[in-house]
This record gives sequence, C-alpha cells and structure tokens, in this order.
Amino acid sequence: MSDVTFELRRQPETWLDLSALTPDKLHGHTLTAIKAIRLRCGRRAGNVGDLFQVSGDDPLSLRFVDACRSFVRLGHGMTRGRIRVNGHAGHYLGQDMRGGQITVRGSAGNWLGAGMSGGSIEISGDAGDFIGAAVAGAMHGMTGGNIVVGGNAGKRAADRMRRGTILVLGDAGDFAGSRMIAGTLLILGLARTGVGYGMRRGTIVLGRMPAHVPVTFNDCGRLKMEFLRLLFKQTADSRKRFGYFREFGPEARRFAGDIAAGGQGEILVLLNASRRRSA
Amino acid sequence: MKINGVTVDNTFAEAFAMKATRLVITAMTLKWAYRAANSLTGFASSVIACGCEADIERELGPGETPDGRPGIAVIMFAMSRKQLMDQVRRRVGQSVMTTATSACFAGSRSDDMIPLGRSLRYFGDGFQISKTVDGIRYWRIPVMHGEFLCEESTGMVPAIGGGNFLVMAKTSRHGITACEQAVRAIRAVRGAVTTFPGGIVGSGSKVGSKYRFVPASTNEVFCPTLKGLVPTQLTEEVGSVLEIVIDGLNEKAIREAIRAGVHAVCRFGPKKGIFRVSAGNYGGKLGPYHFHLWDILK
Repeated sequence: MSDVTFELRRQPETWLDLSALTPDKLHGHTLTAIKAIRLRCGRRAGNVGDLFQVSGDDPLSLRFVDACRSFVRLGHGMTRGRIRVNGHAGHYLGQDMRGGQITVRGSAGNWLGAGMSGGSIEISGDAGDFIGAAVAGAMHGMTGGNIVVGGNAGKRAADRMRRGTILVLGDAGDFAGSRMIAGTLLILGLARTGVGYGMRRGTIVLGRMPAHVPVTFNDCGRLKMEFLRLLFKQTADSRKRFGYFREFGPEARRFAGDIAAGGQGEILVLLNASRRRSA
Repeated sequence: MKINGVTVDNTFAEAFAMKATRLVITAMTLKWAYRAANSLTGFASSVIACGCEADIERELGPGETPDGRPGIAVIMFAMSRKQLMDQVRRRVGQSVMTTATSACFAGSRSDDMIPLGRSLRYFGDGFQISKTVDGIRYWRIPVMHGEFLCEESTGMVPAIGGGNFLVMAKTSRHGITACEQAVRAIRAVRGAVTTFPGGIVGSGSKVGSKYRFVPASTNEVFCPTLKGLVPTQLTEEVGSVLEIVIDGLNEKAIREAIRAGVHAVCRFGPKKGIFRVSAGNYGGKLGPYHFHLWDILK
C-alpha cells in the first residue's frame, strides 16, 4: 500500500478548499472516484483530477507535494489517518480536527488547528496567527490534541484555548495565550507584547523572560514546579526529537493572572532554560 | 513430598477474588517516597478490619516513574470497587498528599478506572489545576510544600487475595528467620505482595468464633500452646507456626510467589528448625482459587 499522493498541476489563482480530502472521507474510494471529487476553488469548482496528479492506493495516508498558500481547510474535521504536506499548508490547517496526524515539512498559515479536539499537528517551519484559537463566533479554541510549531508563531496563539498543548519552538507574536480558558502553551523562544492577556486559566510556559510581563499578572516568585518535570519527561519520552526537554529542570518563575479578568492562569518562565539549551 | 528434609503437605491454599490497583508514589528522594508508601500501607494487613490490604511491591528508579523521580510501587486490594475507591481516597489523601514533596500516579491501567486525583482535587479549594499530558490527565493541587501532583484516575483490575502457606518451626526464632527469607524471595515476584507486618502473620485466623460479634478468631489447630487441648494439626517438635499470606494481581503471580517462598523456607531444613510446610484452606468453601502445594512445587 502506498500513500495517496496529490501533486498540484498548477498553482491555483485563488483559494482552494481541501476539506473534502481527508482520510475519513476518502476511505473506501477508488483512485477514479477520488479524482472525480469536486473541490471549491474560489467561486468555482473543479475536479481533483483536474487540479492534482493523483497516485497511490492507501487513502488513510495522504501526501501533498508542492503545497501552496492557496490551500485552505486541509485536514478539516479528520478523525484518523495521516496527512503529510511538503510546502506551505495554507490557512485553517487541521481545523476542527478530532484525531489522526498531520505533518508539514514547511509552514502553515493562520488558524492552524483552530477548534481542534484531538490528534496532532506538527509544522517544521513557521505558523501564522491564531494557532489553536477560536474562529469567529466560537466560544473556545482548541479543546484537545497537540500542535508543534518548529519555527515561529504569529499573533494570538492559543486565543481562547480550552484544552490541549501547543508547543512553539521559536518566537511567538503579540498576545500569545490571550483569553486562554485552560490548556498549555509552551513558547521556547521570545513571547512579544501582551502575553497571557485576559487569560482565565491555563498555563503558558516561556523559555525566555519576555521584555514586559503584563502588569495584571502577579509575581509568585521563583519556584520548583514538579509538574514541569513531568511535562518535560513525558514530552521527551513520547517523541525522540524532543529529547532535549530532559535538560529542563522544574524551576520557574511563576506569574499568576490575568487578574484584570479575574483569572487564575499562570505564566511560568523557565529559569536558565536558554543556558541549558545552548549548553 | 519432602524438600531438603522439610515435609510439604498434600494440601492447598484457598484464595478469593478481590479488586486491586497499583499506585506509583514518587518524592524528592527515595527515603521520602518510602515514608509516604509506608504510611499508605500501614494498618492495611487484612480486609477483616483494615478496609483494604496493601503493601509495597518494589522500588522504582527515576527512569520508571512518570516524573523522573525515585518512586515506590504499591498495590492495594479490597473486596469491592466501592471499598477500593474509598480506601484509595482516604489513604492517598491522608498518607501520600501529606508527605512532603510527594506525588502519586496510576501504576496500572484498565478499562475500569477509579478516581485518584479526581476525588482529591477538591483539597485545592478551587485553586487546583488540571493538566493533560500525552492523553493522561493530572491534577496539580497547591499545597504548602509546593504542589501535590496526582493522576486523575488509576486502573482497577480483578485480583486474588488469601494465597498462603504455613511454616511449622521448632521455635519462633527459627520460623521468623526462615520466613524473612521467604518474604524477600516473594518481593522479587512482580504483582504479588505480602500485606501483613513484615510479610509474616503471627496470628493466623479461622473464619468465625464462639463469640457472635467476632468475624475471625485464632486457628487453634495450629496453636502450639493448645496441642494438648484440641485436635491439633501439629506434631510434638513444632513449637511455632507462622503464615505467609500472599495477595496477587493474578494466579500466576501467586503461584510464583508460593513457589519462591516455600523453596526459600525449605532451604533451612530440619537442622535449622523448619519441619513442615502446609497451607490454609476451608475445604473449598471460602474461595474459587485453589493453590495446590504439590502442583506448584513439582
């Protein structure tokens, strides 16, 4: 069995909705049936076969090569299987995802994993704004699952996040963790302005002390948080490439807030983390 | 059957069904993990009056525990799910959470999970924090030493209680010396524990009594001081009988534990005051699990 592979024939001129191409929806389809599926492309619609060269015979494992920024809603609502992407995975990647695995060798746009409740997404490059956040009209963002961003994240990562874990290995844009309800956001690089703005509960773990901790967070001091030891050990155990997490100790400086929102969230700034990573 | 000159009776140990869970207790050092584990397993020798039976199974290295600290695995047994849930809540709450630097995790998983942190989290008085790591939910309960970290639930599994064998010795000193070695050998068996003090029962009991309000009473047929009064099971040279009671997560664990324990005892032989090994049963009326000594030892 080989992955069902989609190779773009030409770059779309406008957005291309790929929500119909998930392992769940393609399971049991022949290659001919897959090629006949209609996809929205801007105001028009076209067949998969006209837009992509399609090959392979295992619909539970999909591969997109030469992906581009025009993609939207790839992996939407998927519950199982695997999608691998080379290139830019577009906006709304893994929106409302409930299970399975998405791996991107490249970057992703805005609303990555918005509203997802299970499964895992790993991006080797950068991601746009509103990772794991609530889409317009939704009361909460992601409610489960894991997102890993190997590069930098845009603004408002984890906005209204309720459960799950987001790991950003690089920097994060303004207002990371804004209005968080619960869940865990780890930023090993630098978090910019307004981190944790309006958060009610949840945990933001920072690898570096931000230039400004919001004044609506109270300093609880330097503490040993045994939970961090558990988090780092489990993360290192579950994925080999995160083995360096074993280097982090449980010590952190804890800020509690956002008291302006009556919140009991926390920002944990890892102590000596940068020194340990570079060592 | 004779092993090293020690007579092994052709009889069986009778055991009954129980419910069990394994817990992993960690702390800053192994010493403090032991403090918590010893407290949790204290007064947990018999379900007759303790509510549960519990003992330390083994030490765990930092690589074997969820938080990378030294730990202790303990197994708790009770007669019902409800009783086990109640004992887990009471004992982890009062013995583990109160031990400085401790944390408590599930040591077994099953389809039937019972509350662990789920029932203890309320101690946090609203400041408790739930965290899910790799699909497992934990509770962070703020306490005065820092945070008490506790897994949401632990797996309850069917288990067996009451596996046993009796060691008939010349004196108590001879008996206890041999039984200590037996307990050490049993400790090496995964999934089996000996819940009585030091793993040895000095006052084995029978079911019932002449007094209506007493559920269990002395097993007079094995009491050396009553040899002249009752139809005794003891020969003239026996001056002390000790019992080793084994609870296990499955039949295999108990069989292995009995085999290891009896062999350890028999190594002493009659010259070192060990004359006979037998087992306690109630004619097959107490429980469905029968551990025949000869079958296990052959």
